[in-house]
Amino acid sequence: MKARVLEALSRLLSVFRRHRLDEDFEEELSIHIEMLTEENQHRGMTPAEARRQAILRVGGLNATREIHRTARGIRLVEDFFWSSVLDFKLGTRMMKKYPGLTVVGLIGMGIAIAIGGAAYRVIDTIIDPVLPLDEGDRIVTIHNINPTLSDREDRKTHLHDLITWREAMDTIKEFGAYRTIQRNLITPGGRVEPMRIAEITASGFRIARVPPFVGRYFDDQDERAGSEPVVVIGYDIWQARFAGGADILGRTLQLGTTLHRVIGVMPRGFAFPVNNGLWIPMRLDPASFERGQAPAIEVFGRLAPGATMSEARVQAATIAQRLAAEYPTTHQHSSTRVIPYAHIYIERPESLWVFHLIQLFFSALLVVIGTNISILVYARTVTRMDEFAVRTALGASRTRVVAQLFVEALVLSGSAALLGLAAANAILKEVSVLLVQFGGAQVPFWWNFNINSATVEYAAVLAILGAAIVGVLPALKVTGRGVHAGLQSLGSGGVVRHLGRTWTVLIVGQVAIAVMLLPLAVGTAVEAFSKTTEFGFASSEFLLSSLQLDQEREGEFGTRYADVQSELIRRLEAEPGISGVTLTTDVPGSESYFPVEVEKDVGSKGSLDGTLGAGETYIGVSKVDLDYFGMFEIPILAGRGFGTGDLMPAATSVIVNRTFVEKVLGGGSVLGQRVRYTQKGQQPGPWYEIVGIVPDFPKPSKPNSSTSKLYHPMVPSDIHPIVLAVRVRGSEPSSFADHLREVTAAVDPMLRLGPVTTLDEISDEIWVRISAMILGLVTLSVILLSAAGIYALMSVTVEQRRREIGIRIALGADRRRILVTIFGRAAFRLGIGVFAGTLPIAVVDWTSNGEALGGHSALVFSCIAAIMITVGLIATVGPARRGLRICPAQALKENG
Amino acid sequence: MPYSYGSRIGKSMSEDKLDLLKGTLDLLVLQTLSAMGAMHGFGIARRIEQISGDQLRMNEGTIYASLVRLQNRRLIKAAWGTSDNNRKAKYYSLTRAGEKELAEETATWKRLSSVIGRVLATSGETGE
Repeated sequence: MKARVLEALSRLLSVFRRHRLDEDFEEELSIHIEMLTEENQHRGMTPAEARRQAILRVGGLNATREIHRTARGIRLVEDFFWSSVLDFKLGTRMMKKYPGLTVVGLIGMGIAIAIGGAAYRVIDTIIDPVLPLDEGDRIVTIHNINPTLSDREDRKTHLHDLITWREAMDTIKEFGAYRTIQRNLITPGGRVEPMRIAEITASGFRIARVPPFVGRYFDDQDERAGSEPVVVIGYDIWQARFAGGADILGRTLQLGTTLHRVIGVMPRGFAFPVNNGLWIPMRLDPASFERGQAPAIEVFGRLAPGATMSEARVQAATIAQRLAAEYPTTHQHSSTRVIPYAHIYIERPESLWVFHLIQLFFSALLVVIGTNISILVYARTVTRMDEFAVRTALGASRTRVVAQLFVEALVLSGSAALLGLAAANAILKEVSVLLVQFGGAQVPFWWNFNINSATVEYAAVLAILGAAIVGVLPALKVTGRGVHAGLQSLGSGGVVRHLGRTWTVLIVGQVAIAVMLLPLAVGTAVEAFSKTTEFGFASSEFLLSSLQLDQEREGEFGTRYADVQSELIRRLEAEPGISGVTLTTDVPGSESYFPVEVEKDVGSKGSLDGTLGAGETYIGVSKVDLDYFGMFEIPILAGRGFGTGDLMPAATSVIVNRTFVEKVLGGGSVLGQRVRYTQKGQQPGPWYEIVGIVPDFPKPSKPNSSTSKLYHPMVPSDIHPIVLAVRVRGSEPSSFADHLREVTAAVDPMLRLGPVTTLDEISDEIWVRISAMILGLVTLSVILLSAAGIYALMSVTVEQRRREIGIRIALGADRRRILVTIFGRAAFRLGIGVFAGTLPIAVVDWTSNGEALGGHSALVFSCIAAIMITVGLIATVGPARRGLRICPAQALKENG
Repeated sequence: MPYSYGSRIGKSMSEDKLDLLKGTLDLLVLQTLSAMGAMHGFGIARRIEQISGDQLRMNEGTIYASLVRLQNRRLIKAAWGTSDNNRKAKYYSLTRAGEKELAEETATWKRLSSVIGRVLATSGETGE
């Protein structure tokens, strides 16, 4: 067996050492022939006869070489390999020879592969995640699903069910549980930082099978109520807060109001169960809670040795039935699900097809762009008809020629794939940064968007697909009947002359596609690069954050919240750098939307007949502090602002914005009109009276993008959590965030601010901008490809007529007239293309009453026509000049 | 093909020379190298022809195919050297695996030829 493997290996290696082995053998053979020749001469033969006989003796030179080569390696593989090497070299030469096509192909396919590859990595990470723990695929999560309850409510049963699962399930070896709590992390001399802390059972660490880096993790003793508060910290916090000090064990840190003693440090990268860097023991006692009233927890476990996921599911289902019978109040509608732990974010496997569809969409981009490039390659391939005709005449099969063009295209698409992977890497890094920015510690630690081998393989598949589209399609077209015709008319230029109609169709099609995409491309680019929100004032001076009072037990607020809130506002207002503080339920521009109906006029108060038509209109609603409008410098346009009287229980005052007045009430005097909330199948809410009008805030960036808004006055202590807005003057607002946290935690360590951002950052709807930019980039690249296509096709068309032009000059035709003829034909084709592309846009614009083009149809159409005609004409100038410069004698010679 | 991958006994009998049976050339090469030590291709071919008493039909070029096969199987190794008459030549020699293979193949061949001989002898008796 070993000998056979060695032999196969030697044969395979010989494929790559062909040249050396051939040279060696040639030398050996020639020595052999020389020796035989000498021997024959000694026998009395003439030198020529002696050599002839020697060659006969070895069996002929070529036959011997063939036998040797066959014995040496794998002929088919060798032939394929070396012809591919040649094709690759040719492909590289082609890239150098046609730099325009190379650049367009690299950019076009590179963008497509970058987007396809990045989408693949993201989707693959989400739908097929891998838990980077020892036998991570055997860690499962187990939870109840009750369609009549919210997810969170359902998880309130888990604390009691955990006991049952632990006792009754032998398919899961060990169970663990956690819940996430949020607290301010306060260390001596360190900044105050809101943290998501995993309150976890001691078994959780055992299930993860990751030993602590320093000290220990929890044991069962730490879980007991009344034990000393202890904490296990992550590597990063150890470094950042304790400078990686060796004396870490026994030191304390404060979480909210409680001091915890550090008993261990987990190694770098460990963030189980979600993305945590702080762990405290879970001390929930089921005996302290009614079933269904305990805090919501997540349960997980490790499959017992030999047990399978389906066995665990069957066992869990049986237990669920038993629980439903024993506890109908909480479990009647419940079923229990066991899924791989890493899949907790894809709870509905049936929805996976959506992800595949998205993947397909992104990958299809390559087909669109590839088809476009294939037209360019087709144009180039046609000019090489003579080459293929000769190769065919020399015995190359059609498959061989197609294979050659495929490999040439593969060099291009492979290079594009390398560029694409680099770009995908950049995109994925950006996605990771954004995820951390927006999701923070909620983004699971096993979501890793780095390029991996699977991404590279996917990009390779895309490159092959791209090569098939870009290389094989034109190759099949060109090597059809044309190649035989090419052989017949070799050197006379006869082949290209037959392609007039194809060129016309291609040019017209290209122009039409480009024209159709132009408005979209321009629109998307404008969308991407224009600011979506304008505040009309120094929005960077405003800091916003959510304000929350953490509680050890649910519902223990009492009057504490109102007290700490007013104390915080008092302290902030006393700060020298702060010029204003206000509270609201929503970040400006991110209000919640509700359906409302509105009374038609003041005279018919209370009458439903008086409401506006079918009247449900969705509007943005915010509850605001009394000084909200003043703080944001929003003037009252009509009526009045809110006063303390509006906070009385019987008060019904609301303020609306200008768009509300115009869109919902149809303009005019609206003060005193009434509005109420409606919801299908429910009694409408109470009426509210409009007492004031304010301008649109934030200011809409586009004429039609303003939304109707309605403001209620609020008592801030009634709202939890709440949005705190602070106006900072005299210092850099973003650097003020840490101080803001310190002031807040000084009022009460349990009072916690969320992420602090400036109003500017919030208005940068970054996801919208990124998706708009990707779409814009794609569309622009298609435009670029289309323009390049037009250029290439025009060049080839004029090039084909070069000899005709030369002959006409030789016959004395006026050069200017010839030029007009050429441009005339080019312009005619462009004109048809522009018309064909404009027509659908015009129809869409007309059917949307001019909204599709934003009322700028004349301008848009003129720009499109101007751009496309300029591109087309520029494309004809170069070849036409070359044609006009041709020497008539040379032209006649070519024609001969 | 000059190097016979199939017995053509009838034809070779009529031409007074024998075609080699499939695989036997490799065995002859191994044996030659075992008996003579390191040799070049020409020497091996010449030696086989001498030993066989010029009874074998063999194109000398086929020796090189055999040498490549044996090299691929790591049964022989090759190195460039200088011949007796000061000519550059590639010398082949047996490896340890080659010695082992030669022993096994020789034993197999002897058993096979003895069996075939016995069968043919029996057939001869029956036919008579």
